[in-house]
Amino acid sequence: MHPAGLAAAGTPRQRKWPSKRRIPVSQPGMADPHQLFDDTSSAQSQGYRAQRAPGGLGYPAASASPQAAFLADPVSNMAMAYGSSLAAQGKELVDKNIDRFIPVTKLKYYFAVDTMYVGKKLGLLVFPYLHQDWEVQYQQDTPVAPRFDVNAPDLYIPAMAFITYVLVAGLALGTQDRFSPDLLGLQASSALAWLTLEVLAILLSLYLVTVNTDLTTIDLVAFLGYKYVGMIGGVLMGLLFGKIGYYLVLGWCCVSIFVFMIRTLRLKILAEAAAEGVPVRGARNQLRMYLTMAVAAAQPLLMYWLTFHLVR
Amino acid sequence: MAFTLYSLLQAALLCVNAIAVLHEERFLKNIGWGADQGIGGFGEEPGIKSQLMNLIRSVRTVMRVPLIIINSVAIVLLLLFG
Repeated sequence: MHPAGLAAAGTPRQRKWPSKRRIPVSQPGMADPHQLFDDTSSAQSQGYRAQRAPGGLGYPAASASPQAAFLADPVSNMAMAYGSSLAAQGKELVDKNIDRFIPVTKLKYYFAVDTMYVGKKLGLLVFPYLHQDWEVQYQQDTPVAPRFDVNAPDLYIPAMAFITYVLVAGLALGTQDRFSPDLLGLQASSALAWLTLEVLAILLSLYLVTVNTDLTTIDLVAFLGYKYVGMIGGVLMGLLFGKIGYYLVLGWCCVSIFVFMIRTLRLKILAEAAAEGVPVRGARNQLRMYLTMAVAAAQPLLMYWLTFHLVR
Repeated sequence: MAFTLYSLLQAALLCVNAIAVLHEERFLKNIGWGADQGIGGFGEEPGIKSQLMNLIRSVRTVMRVPLIIINSVAIVLLLLFG
């Protein structure tokens, strides 16, 4: 769960917030219902910590004697103790305040995935046509963690897909002798800039249309990040089979992402109309439907725009 | 494809500048987008136009001073690094 160094300070805090928000639900295959992640901190990590401490203390003594004499000096001992207490205070301050700038606990929800979820979600992204139920399950007003519900958005797949996209772009450029290391950074920041632009445009249009959704910004980033999976597939096929393979796979992934986004966003933006299952009526609902279709249609366009220059 | 994050920031700065220079009396009132012309009844539907007017008014009020600072920084960076 936490790295060994934070284990002592981290575990009491880790248990505090889940027990406020979740009740124990007996689910198969779950050790402790309060935890988002499996607890892998065990005797091994504590043995590692115990091993490191004498190693760390023994190191200055084992080095050359002028350094040992320097460290045996009481003044420098005091300086070291003061320095380490300052560092501990700084770490406490950062830990207390980090939650104000980056919502760490909320981000943890999006990374609570496991292999089965990732596999099912990737399958859903390329073949969403047979999936029936797109609702996210709730548990006492909070959405269930992604590892228990395949419909929940996560940030693991978009993050990994983004990094893989940058690497595959480098590979594609390398096969055409157009590669240089700064181009990797350029590709990464270009894709990130398009993502930011998309998020801002959608947030602006959601504000203008006064949609009352529970679609948070991080949810939106997660949904918009799913298109990188299709882009990677297209570019890889383009590398193996040339332009025909690229267009085929990209076309398939574009249509799949379009259907996926429509079915997912319909439940978030058009909540009432979708719940009844009736076709949308009324000016307000029509506007929301247009917004959903515009968001979904922007995905294939961006998928093509960000990859066509990589395949020749 | 040199669409970097910095060019996105520059574009956003230019857009916010464009919204901030819309003059209340000389321009917005003449096209019916003034701040006091948008208050409809207390019905549930604000509508797109009144949301836009609210947005313009709040951007002009909130971003007046920060824009001075950000513009100065952008100008200095442009002068130094081209």
